[in-house]
Amino acid sequence: MKGRPFLAAAVLLSTATVLLPFALQSNRFIAFIVGMVMIHLVWSCGMNLLYGFVGLMPLMYAGIAGIAAYAMIYLTRVEGLSFWLAMPIASLGAAGVGVLLGLPSLRLRGFYFTLCSLVIQTGMTLAFTYFPRYTNGDTGIGQIAPPSIGGTPLAGATLDAMLALFAVAAVWSVAFLIRTPTGRRFIAVREDEVLAEAVGIDVVRTKVIAFFLMSLYAGVGGCLYAVYVGFVSPRAFDILVSLSIWLLVAFGGRGSIIGAIIGTVILAPLPYLLHDLSGLKDVLTGALIVAVILWFPGGIVEGVKSIRKRVLAKAATVPPAHAEAVHRKVEGRA
Amino acid sequence: MSEPNLLVLLSMLTTGILLGLIFALVASGVSIMYGCIWLPNASNGQFFVLAALLAWSLTSQLGWRVSAALIAILAVSGIFAIILEYVLIRRLYDSPNRNIDYFVVTLGLTQIISGIFGFTYSHYSDQYIIPPLVEGVTFIGPMPTTNNRLLVIAVAATAILALFAGFRFHRIGRAIRAVFQNREAAALRGVDVKGVYRIAFILGTVITALGGLLYGMAYSFDLGLAWTMSVTAFAIMIVGGPGSILGALVVGLVFGFTQAVVSVFSSPTMATFAYLIAMLAILLVKPSGVFSR
Repeated sequence: MKGRPFLAAAVLLSTATVLLPFALQSNRFIAFIVGMVMIHLVWSCGMNLLYGFVGLMPLMYAGIAGIAAYAMIYLTRVEGLSFWLAMPIASLGAAGVGVLLGLPSLRLRGFYFTLCSLVIQTGMTLAFTYFPRYTNGDTGIGQIAPPSIGGTPLAGATLDAMLALFAVAAVWSVAFLIRTPTGRRFIAVREDEVLAEAVGIDVVRTKVIAFFLMSLYAGVGGCLYAVYVGFVSPRAFDILVSLSIWLLVAFGGRGSIIGAIIGTVILAPLPYLLHDLSGLKDVLTGALIVAVILWFPGGIVEGVKSIRKRVLAKAATVPPAHAEAVHRKVEGRA
Repeated sequence: MSEPNLLVLLSMLTTGILLGLIFALVASGVSIMYGCIWLPNASNGQFFVLAALLAWSLTSQLGWRVSAALIAILAVSGIFAIILEYVLIRRLYDSPNRNIDYFVVTLGLTQIISGIFGFTYSHYSDQYIIPPLVEGVTFIGPMPTTNNRLLVIAVAATAILALFAGFRFHRIGRAIRAVFQNREAAALRGVDVKGVYRIAFILGTVITALGGLLYGMAYSFDLGLAWTMSVTAFAIMIVGGPGSILGALVVGLVFGFTQAVVSVFSSPTMATFAYLIAMLAILLVKPSGVFSR
């Protein structure tokens, strides 16, 4: 699957993604959903980086996105900066906050880290609501101006294409990142922290880098969300959003770029398609979360892999142990 | 002390005791589940509110007698726990990292239940209250207190004492404690570990439902209470030490009084902030909790 044809297909798909909004303009509703999928792609890339490749489950993800969004709005409205200056500043700021909030992970693992991140997320939601100076509390902030290029505000297809560009960049950057030595270190830390330390990997540094990058994706996604939807409130960045972004990755297949894409493309449109039945959307998300943990922990990608393995094992009578080793080798490269 | 100040102080005291005992009760339920099964039940707040809402439906909507409704709901919560244990919970008993898996599963349950609230109860009203079980008012010094609230305090205190006694003296309570301390050793000594898990889950769920009923009798509540309660119960469990009922009682009372005092001066949200910070501090300094062995 890897190699030149795969690369060519990926380039083709990326180009098609950026051009897709221009083909969808006849139906604003569909175009909007596609735009939201693009923003969620940016988010799921960041979540995949930490959950899929470093093995930590950060439930304060939406909160970090919220910090970036509110900071960007403050910078554009009060300080009068342009979106193109405010977004990097806000995202880098949120990434700095993300590093601070990731520090507990140096001491806590597994459940205790996740609980800690949930506490932080709850605290951030409360702060968004009860310190209305920057956030306007539960009322939210509306009429956020879209970014403009050369004085013309982006709208319609150009705005959608900009989101698609960000989504494609996010996917490619993660794909590139996990092939660098830093990315390898992420995976080593996920597989066995003690062993990674023993072979000379600086686990603290690796985790700090991971948190910085994750928060950067979260922050960029948050800024894009704010300008695309044009309205933000604390509910846009609460624990349920963190969980649903986590679900995008877990449902598709953690630690797999294609998995995160598949999960996002399938699940991100659901809230908008079920807009009139918001309760049903929550029930469905909850049921999927339970199902992913109990019945298919590896998500779609692992499911497809295990089916293919079974078929292959039947076709060529390779001893299972060998097949397992080959499988692991393939996975290590993914 | 002047009369108005005394009144404020007395009302702060009763609120503190009432909230503290209910917090302690729910946190004990959560703590038993986590200490025993390694199941951090994030949906405890939803179970808590669900019990209170059902009591509201049975009494205010269907006209049941309050006592009958309360007993029926406790029974139903037990049956609900048995079904849930059979369908979901037991599937992960043997998984090594089950605490994070359970945590996510119960977060999923939280979302399912709040989704169901979204198209059922959220249409009725913003504030719910269960009618009083007993009428009348008693004066504590200059302050009038409804007998209903005094009864709630008495029931909560009795339930916690019963938990203490059961854990110390009853065969099943001792088995649960044995599993807290050392699963393998308990199994070797002939304790049916999975049977204990099942009992701990059912017990924890029923206790949470009881807490919800008591809260709904004493105060009016809204759907937003569910998440606050989940976070508070977790905070109490983490600060007090998972598996420790004494820890849940002491920290629960401290949190209850904190909320009572803070509510006099500013919004109760400030108290929630304080819990969150306390939990964060304990998580970072001593994740095993203050009252752990």
